[in-house]
Amino acid sequence: MVRLGRTLAASVLGALMSTTAFAQTMTDVGTPRSETLIVQTFDGRAANPSAQNPMNSYAIWRGFRELGWSWLWEMDTATGQSYPELAAGPVEVLNDEQTKFRVTLREGVYWSDGVEFTADDVIYSLETYLKYRSQLGRVAVVANFVKSWTKVDDYTFEVETNRPSYDFQTVMGVYTWGSQFVIVPKHIFEPLGDEVVTFQNTNAVTLGPYKIKEFDPNGSWQLWELREDWERSGWGNLGEPKPKFVLYKDFGAEETRALAFVQNQYDVDTFMSPDSIDAAKARNPNVESFSPTFPYHDMNDACSYGVYINLQREPYDKPEVRWALALALNMQQVGISSMSGQFKAGALPLADTPITNPLYYAPLQSWLEELTLEDGYKPYNTNFATELNDALASQGVDATQLPTGDAIEQGFGMGWWKHDPAQAAKLLESVGMTKGADGFFTREDGSPWVIEFVIPGDWNKVIQRIGFSIADSWRQAGFNINTRQVDNGEWTTVQNTNSRNELMINWAQSCTYNSNWQNSWRQFAESYVLPPDSTDALVGNFMRVTDQRIFDIVTDSAQLPTDDPQFLENGRSIAKYLVEDMQMINLMNIPTTIPTNKTYWTNFPKQDNFYAAPYTWWSSFKQTVVNIEPTGQQ
Amino acid sequence: MGVFAYVAKRFGLYLAVLFIGLTITFLLPRFLPINPVDGYIGQIQSRANGTLTPEAIAEMRVNLEQLYGLEGDIFTQYLAYLKRVVIDFDFGPSFTYYPAEVSTMITTALPWTLGLLLTATIIAWLLGNMVGLVAGYFHKKRAASILEFVGILLYPIPYYILAVSVLLLLAYIFPIFPLSPTFPVGEMTWPKVGMIIYNSLLPAITLVLAGFGWNILSMKALAVATTEEPYVTYARLKGTSNWTRMTRYVFRNALLPQVTALALSLGMIFNGALLTEIIFSYPGIGLIMRTAATGGDYNVLYGAITLSILAVATAGLVIDLIYPLLDPRIRHK
Repeated sequence: MVRLGRTLAASVLGALMSTTAFAQTMTDVGTPRSETLIVQTFDGRAANPSAQNPMNSYAIWRGFRELGWSWLWEMDTATGQSYPELAAGPVEVLNDEQTKFRVTLREGVYWSDGVEFTADDVIYSLETYLKYRSQLGRVAVVANFVKSWTKVDDYTFEVETNRPSYDFQTVMGVYTWGSQFVIVPKHIFEPLGDEVVTFQNTNAVTLGPYKIKEFDPNGSWQLWELREDWERSGWGNLGEPKPKFVLYKDFGAEETRALAFVQNQYDVDTFMSPDSIDAAKARNPNVESFSPTFPYHDMNDACSYGVYINLQREPYDKPEVRWALALALNMQQVGISSMSGQFKAGALPLADTPITNPLYYAPLQSWLEELTLEDGYKPYNTNFATELNDALASQGVDATQLPTGDAIEQGFGMGWWKHDPAQAAKLLESVGMTKGADGFFTREDGSPWVIEFVIPGDWNKVIQRIGFSIADSWRQAGFNINTRQVDNGEWTTVQNTNSRNELMINWAQSCTYNSNWQNSWRQFAESYVLPPDSTDALVGNFMRVTDQRIFDIVTDSAQLPTDDPQFLENGRSIAKYLVEDMQMINLMNIPTTIPTNKTYWTNFPKQDNFYAAPYTWWSSFKQTVVNIEPTGQQ
Repeated sequence: MGVFAYVAKRFGLYLAVLFIGLTITFLLPRFLPINPVDGYIGQIQSRANGTLTPEAIAEMRVNLEQLYGLEGDIFTQYLAYLKRVVIDFDFGPSFTYYPAEVSTMITTALPWTLGLLLTATIIAWLLGNMVGLVAGYFHKKRAASILEFVGILLYPIPYYILAVSVLLLLAYIFPIFPLSPTFPVGEMTWPKVGMIIYNSLLPAITLVLAGFGWNILSMKALAVATTEEPYVTYARLKGTSNWTRMTRYVFRNALLPQVTALALSLGMIFNGALLTEIIFSYPGIGLIMRTAATGGDYNVLYGAITLSILAVATAGLVIDLIYPLLDPRIRHK
């Protein structure tokens, strides 16, 4: 009997174990975990998840531009090169003025409801963009760019633009994170007539290889399912997307997210503070940062953090004051205290990425080294990266975690400004500003000088911490700083009305992804300058640049191809003018802290496997989707 | 004062509160350092990489002001606002999420907030008052001190710390509940209802724990004071049982301030939703209000705050009207 009992028990146990071995873990939304890629949403929960009309405000961060929509041209974010997606090839330029273009579409592309995609969809979209330009919220770029259009045949159309457009492919396609021109299905939208302006487009018919399976009406998650006919989708020619399902979900506050990440509940996070990433890595070896060594994170965002100064406001209208602020800033201390040394410094007014480095940073390195202020002082510190590396080593950072050789400069940047409070004081004294009895610098007339410095509140913890560290560094050097935190909503207002503002951390006018610097610096134009005392909202040129030399270059460059050597040289000249007079204090590349979890999926883009920008909220995420591999973990 | 005069007076006060509340609601967003139209144009210009001309922007500004009912001087806007809100109960479209209707956004979110916070508030009130009553009535006994200690222990813990601790304990160390719930969609079935309840338990437990402590302490203090009243002593001398004295003499008389507190806390449910929703990833009106406040979304703010005012004022009115039924010392005449 005992033997029988043991035999039975063993059989039952064996059956249970084998069941466990083959048991499939399911997600909360009922899909097999091993077939589902789960990513944290960029913006948390959406308040408008059923709004899916791309011509209006819609729940953009739920995977639409990554998985749902499809563009005429996409951007290879590893190289900065535009490539055809819905288009069959590069745009054909029809006149010397670069205002007339012909586009040929790929044949055999179908909408997710089985209707073929043709030039009629493009033409209808253009007509709608222009017709309802004042009522639709997201059509301004294209409506302002395109003048007229003609259908040639079902797969060919021609477009005339309002201005010479050497950047046609990136305006009508993708420059960095997605296109402004989302083509909508004519067969769905046209019957609505004028109601397209309020159409929600819930459960949108899409062109990408994924279609919406389900979404939470409360905005926490959205589930995408691979189309059976993915090969005839808008970017089906890119390769087979590996996950059958992609779930965008908000896992809540950072504390909750870190715990859920440790428990393998999802695969890719968005901005997570270095502390939380360290804690998660310590508890789960499958959690990885972008790079195995310092500075750990992806630094290839198109934008950089910088201190924007109201250049029209006294005493910031003086280059001496601005230079004093730059030289008084202990960037090494700021980076270590706010980012644990996990940052890449950049002295030019744009990010230093593998794409922009050979175009801007490397060619201007010797110029920076020779740059001299009026009193003969050379402010540039070429050894910044090495010194930072040494400082981290002396603080006990494991040597295996620190870069060596050329990787030091690639990791921490080519250089930054010297930390020289004495030189800063000298510059201030040269314009009549001296330290008062309270240890803080005064204005020229001896009155107290309190600097208002605007930084984000809780909504961006990384930059918030950087802001406080900067304020601390300046305070140590004798600047009386009033740090003002603003909420996300107020941020845009502060930026737009910076006549009231003095200094703020910002990134709006540094975003340069390839040779085309126009996307950010086009706004340096006389038409965007308001009088110094005007409190009207600015609609561009938030730095209040008034440098006529820059205005002229911007105007002239509009007549040049964006890859023309002269166009590039013009961009470098603008960078030089901005630096010479310290018209903004560029700080560092935006450290994009995107940890991944390789329990269920591997081959995410990493420093040593950089096939695409690792952002799940850029349309280049499609490269990730076709390159990742399942681990087989059930 | 007759019943009619009493009710009319209270109702008049109620209307006055609503009117003042609506007026303040109209004015408050205008004191925010945010101009939604400028913000919106700024975003569009940013997306447009600076290609919008000043003329195009001026045209856009006019359209946006028409669209959002921001035309004319502030008095004209105020009249239009009162007409829309009071007569049509229409808050228009959301600025941030145009063309989504504010009423739709609120209607979707409100049941979640009410379902969780209403239930949790009532449970916390009932439990806290029961424990507080026993602790107060038997305040000379050691067990009462232990009950009071529970209140003293829970009451001062900041809600955020309490919530994260509960989350850590019951969702991470002992993963009984999900760290971040996924609420099912589609047609409601019993399994789905069960799932919603299961997913709501953790925030509910935290809310009960957070509200529980205050109710214990306040009821205990009231019960102690009431126990010392001469009519309770008289009842004891008459030979009534502990149970009778505790429930019919102490409880009834200590209940009134607690009922007022409950009514007010029910009205304040809207305000309490935000932190819960952020920490527990719980759907509801808190997120909508936050988005509206940060984005200068006037219409959504009007909608959410108006509902809140309505709830608080109505709760006050109901309390005023039922007080005479609860308290024998209050009469209409």
